[in-house]
Amino acid sequence: MITKDTPVEEILQKYDVLEYFLENGVSPFSCAGAFPQSLGKLLEIKKVKDPDAFINGLNKLIEEKSQ
Amino acid sequence: MSKLIDDNYKLFIDGKWVDGKEGKTYKEYNPANGELLATCVDAGKEDVDMAVNAAWKAFETWKDVSPQERAKMLLKIADLIDENAEKLAMIETLDNGKPIRETSAIDVPLSSDHFRYFASAVRTEEGQAVMIDKDTMSIILREPIGVVGQIVPWNFPLLMAAWKLAPALAAGDCVVFKPSSETSLSVLELAKLMSDVLPPGVVNIITGKGSTAGNYMLEHEGFRKLAFTGSTEVGYTVAEAAAKKLIPATLELGGKSANIYFEDAPWEKAIEGLQIGILFNQGQVCCAGSRVFIQDTIYDKFLADAINAFEKVKVGLPWEKDTQMGSQINETQLKKILAYIEIGKKEGAKVATGGYRIMDNGLDKGYFIKPTILVDVDNKMRVAQEEIFGPVVCFIRFKDEDEVIKMANDSEYGLGGAVWTKDINRAFRVARAVETGRMWVNNYNNLPAHAPFGGYKKSGIGRETHKVILDHYTQMKNIFISLTENKTGLY
Repeated sequence: MITKDTPVEEILQKYDVLEYFLENGVSPFSCAGAFPQSLGKLLEIKKVKDPDAFINGLNKLIEEKSQ
Repeated sequence: MSKLIDDNYKLFIDGKWVDGKEGKTYKEYNPANGELLATCVDAGKEDVDMAVNAAWKAFETWKDVSPQERAKMLLKIADLIDENAEKLAMIETLDNGKPIRETSAIDVPLSSDHFRYFASAVRTEEGQAVMIDKDTMSIILREPIGVVGQIVPWNFPLLMAAWKLAPALAAGDCVVFKPSSETSLSVLELAKLMSDVLPPGVVNIITGKGSTAGNYMLEHEGFRKLAFTGSTEVGYTVAEAAAKKLIPATLELGGKSANIYFEDAPWEKAIEGLQIGILFNQGQVCCAGSRVFIQDTIYDKFLADAINAFEKVKVGLPWEKDTQMGSQINETQLKKILAYIEIGKKEGAKVATGGYRIMDNGLDKGYFIKPTILVDVDNKMRVAQEEIFGPVVCFIRFKDEDEVIKMANDSEYGLGGAVWTKDINRAFRVARAVETGRMWVNNYNNLPAHAPFGGYKKSGIGRETHKVILDHYTQMKNIFISLTENKTGLY
């Protein structure tokens, strides 16, 4: 279960969800590597209007992919 | 080929190669074929502590080493880079995936030149003195700021190290330096060379992931300055860490630079400049000319010639001498680029050439992308506003100067850019009007020492590759002297 506190690096290592990030306007990987802090921090910096919806959508996608 | 590279690398702290205290490691792979290159230390908090302490200990004496002596050491480092140029170029190529022709002709020679430039620049520093009135003198000296923390990205590992280390050393600072965990090897090899020149502790190399070693550096209270090159997103976290410590930070961040072609552009050079702008280093360049604006009177011919040129580019194994474009840095970056191409298509852009991963001719184990041109792009589209960081260029038509300047400035970034025209007045007007730290005129991606480079807007704070960065690595000492024995008479 991904939360605001989950490190972005961990998400990218464990799940194939890069496209979800990009489709929703958030780049989790750059020339500095995987964003080195939590998902919540990245969503705050990217000014995502509804971080909870982003995280819910991400968890839903991961669940769908695992089935 | 990988015999050039050690199987294992340690941390370089206080002039010695040491194991990480936590025993954690990470592996580096050749992005062009997946071959394991080396195992490096994923440094922990205690390692960063040791590095910072070693740097402060070294600073006690390094701060008083004369500019002449510091310059001599920088020149020696430059000579050692040149003596080992072939080896460093191949290591960079294997570790990063960039073509050997680029590492041999650009990354390595520009790195040694950077040390030479700052060896010279520091000898021209003279301070200032002024008589405030006939009895009062003010002297201004620049003093080293102390121990600085430096973090660099994976796209130009050795050159970014030179950009950071040379001015800091010239200024009299000591350094804790962290390369990217994707590409640490050339910097570790540079540390071997520097260890024969610099006193212990002046430069300390911490390897590791951003989420561990990088964050420990940002959290550490022992730094007097931070310097970072990387994305704008991570730049925010560096700026925040510096603000919490009330220390300065110089930041060289992302870009979405405008490469502007007027109808009187010098044609052959312009087509080459387009390629240098977006295909150099596989487009993994912060100042890449990723938004190309073309005057509508030449658009069709320019597009046809551009497609022709892009399709002739040899994408291949980066260590082969005739390879013009190598591998992207890893699978994540490859997927990111391909995802952006899809996003562009959904927005209404069309792929004029390229747009896919190359898997044939022995490239199936690496991360190769065909040079890509997106047409029918509107400047408001995400592919025109967000950093793709790959060999993908957006073509956008314009009618006149006013229109193209407005579109060029309609970006949160302001790092690079270019204008191509034979009209000197227009060149100056456009270069001045575009809100960016560097505007090339009739060239692109030239990044030598001796000209300041850095961003407007969200592309960063500060300027590197020029002696002005010495101001960032020093602080001003004012000595204010009364030259009279007379009292002021106030008490």
